[in-house]
Amino acid sequence: MAPVLPLVLPLQPRIRLAQGLWLLSWLLALAGGLTLLCSGHLLVQLWHLSTFLAPSCPFATLPQVALAAGTMALGTGLVGAGASRASLDAAQYPPWRKVLGPLLVAGTAAGGGLLVFALGLTLALPGSLDTGLEEGLGTALAHYKDTEVPGHCHAKRLLDELQLRHHCCGRHGYKDWFGVQWVSSRYLDPSDQDVVDRIQSNVEGLYLIDGVPFSCCNPHSPRPCLQSRLSDPHAHPLFDPRQPSLNLWTQGCHAALLGHLQSLASTLGSMLTVTFMLQILVLLGLRYLQTALEGLGGIIDGEGEAQGYLFPSGLKDMLKTAWLQGGVAHRPAPEEAPAEEAPPKEGLPEA
Amino acid sequence: MALLKVTFDQKKRVKLAQGLWLMNWLSVLAGIIIFSLGLFLKIELRKRSDVMNNSESHFVPNSLIVMGVLSCVFNSLAGKICYDALDPAKYAKWKPWLKPYLAVCVLFNIALFLVTLCCFLMRGSLESTLAHGLKNGMKYYRDTDTPGRCFMKKTIDMLQIEFKCCGNNGFRDWFEIQWISNRYLDFSSKEVKDRIKSNVDGRYLVDGVPFSCCNPSSPRPCIQYQLTNNSAHYSYDHQTEELNLWVNGCRAALLSYYSSLMNSMGAVTLLVWLFEVTITIGLRYLHTALEGVSNPEDPECESEGWLLEKSVSETWKAFLESLKKLGKSNQVEAEGADAGQAPEAG
Repeated sequence: MAPVLPLVLPLQPRIRLAQGLWLLSWLLALAGGLTLLCSGHLLVQLWHLSTFLAPSCPFATLPQVALAAGTMALGTGLVGAGASRASLDAAQYPPWRKVLGPLLVAGTAAGGGLLVFALGLTLALPGSLDTGLEEGLGTALAHYKDTEVPGHCHAKRLLDELQLRHHCCGRHGYKDWFGVQWVSSRYLDPSDQDVVDRIQSNVEGLYLIDGVPFSCCNPHSPRPCLQSRLSDPHAHPLFDPRQPSLNLWTQGCHAALLGHLQSLASTLGSMLTVTFMLQILVLLGLRYLQTALEGLGGIIDGEGEAQGYLFPSGLKDMLKTAWLQGGVAHRPAPEEAPAEEAPPKEGLPEA
Repeated sequence: MALLKVTFDQKKRVKLAQGLWLMNWLSVLAGIIIFSLGLFLKIELRKRSDVMNNSESHFVPNSLIVMGVLSCVFNSLAGKICYDALDPAKYAKWKPWLKPYLAVCVLFNIALFLVTLCCFLMRGSLESTLAHGLKNGMKYYRDTDTPGRCFMKKTIDMLQIEFKCCGNNGFRDWFEIQWISNRYLDFSSKEVKDRIKSNVDGRYLVDGVPFSCCNPSSPRPCIQYQLTNNSAHYSYDHQTEELNLWVNGCRAALLSYYSSLMNSMGAVTLLVWLFEVTITIGLRYLHTALEGVSNPEDPECESEGWLLEKSVSETWKAFLESLKKLGKSNQVEAEGADAGQAPEAG
């Protein structure tokens, strides 16, 4: 029953391992903190855009899971820094001996699991953004005129501010506004023949015009903004056909928001990858340090060569040991000391 | 009679030197903060120099930058001096420089206080610069094909959207200038011809505003044209309508933005000034305490530290006398007479 991946660690390499581990742990803590900030930023952005994202869209779970994963990584980094610092000082190490085992298990299970889950979500979720935004923006456009309906009274202000800030117009273009009644009936003159004609011209009785709200206007246009009668080529004198796209924003808000949120998600994804790799390194290093010091009986400065390993025996043997220990608890288990019987192997040459 | 005399024993001197060393390094950090505040203000002023006619005064940010750099230099030097103060051998080489250095520190503190005052008082000049600059900016709004002014429309539109304001003092400023370029006017239309004939300068004036004046919080779609004509729009009364356009003028909005920026910078600089004054006083005490160590062989002895050796009026008289001495340095008799008077006054 040989130890899995053994590594011989005399005193100097052990000290080097502890010092390197201390540095890596602080890097992990930094990466965890940055992940926390990144996911917090994404959460705030999603909260601001909550009107334009359908409630059924699961995208919001990504920053929440990333927040938890970042906290765990930060915790692991701090624990690693403390443990590696303590392993260099004989007086400080004994209290760490008892807690290091359970902490390693918790770090691997919870922290590693959360990170893998978060990475999976980063790859899977942005696809659902598409439908979520489509639905959300459609609802917002339909409720633009409902400034006195409770629950939708902020839709106009939020949509105007969205179009002004993200430089976009409509869902996929400015023509989306032609298919929606965005002027409230309260401000329509019922005695005006033009209004009556327009309302009677379609099945649902909506007042549809070929005009857009002011927030679609592009300030870069050389002429004052043309908002109304956009389909009529003779309505505006001297309309320059070479520069039709400068008057209004050409991009649709769907594409603008999708790009914005996807870039935030990909930044978060790269942060999570870096944190994941650092966490693996730190947990491996801590395990090797722990097992090497256990081999010395907890004495830090022992000049003897200690062997660090990942697991005391192979996976099958460990499961057998655990099952026997669980089932035959009152009888002394004969397999309780596998590590001491195994001859010290020549591990990888130390650096 | 010395001013504010304090007795120092060895331990107290050491504590004073260590505390001063720490305070000096914190002050270097404060100097870096002041430098970055000055840089930030300079960048903000440059960003909007278009609407200030490129004639805004950069005195405040420049002086903040200079004060930040000077503070870093002086305080790191003082930190080095405090570090060496506890070692008599190292301190001996700093001794002759300390008195002029303290004088320079006092002058620096006075300059820092003046800069703080300037932060609070710059408001007036900024107001007049903004008024002129915005007026010109609005005049050139339509000149989108004139080289050198083609960006003014975009600048004013984005300014009104960002600062939630309209016009110079209010939206009616737009009624008085022609903001629609002649290139986009149909001169065959009767309405255009009437408007141009109706005023002396032949300008096309409308009671309308650009789209950037619109307020997104308004419950109805934005009304930009025929603002004073109630019958042109259904259920509209221009006297009571408040939410349609931004009511603030851009001059007031920009002024309040820059005032709040400079007030907060002034407050931070005031705190840093108080900190610097404390450091200068502490350094003076350390200087006089170390001078007062009568027996260099016995470092444990007590010494006295003070701010001024004599009272304020006597120090001032002695200072004037030494100035006079400088003036009459080639007259030996006057020098002898002054030297005779000085010990009587002391």
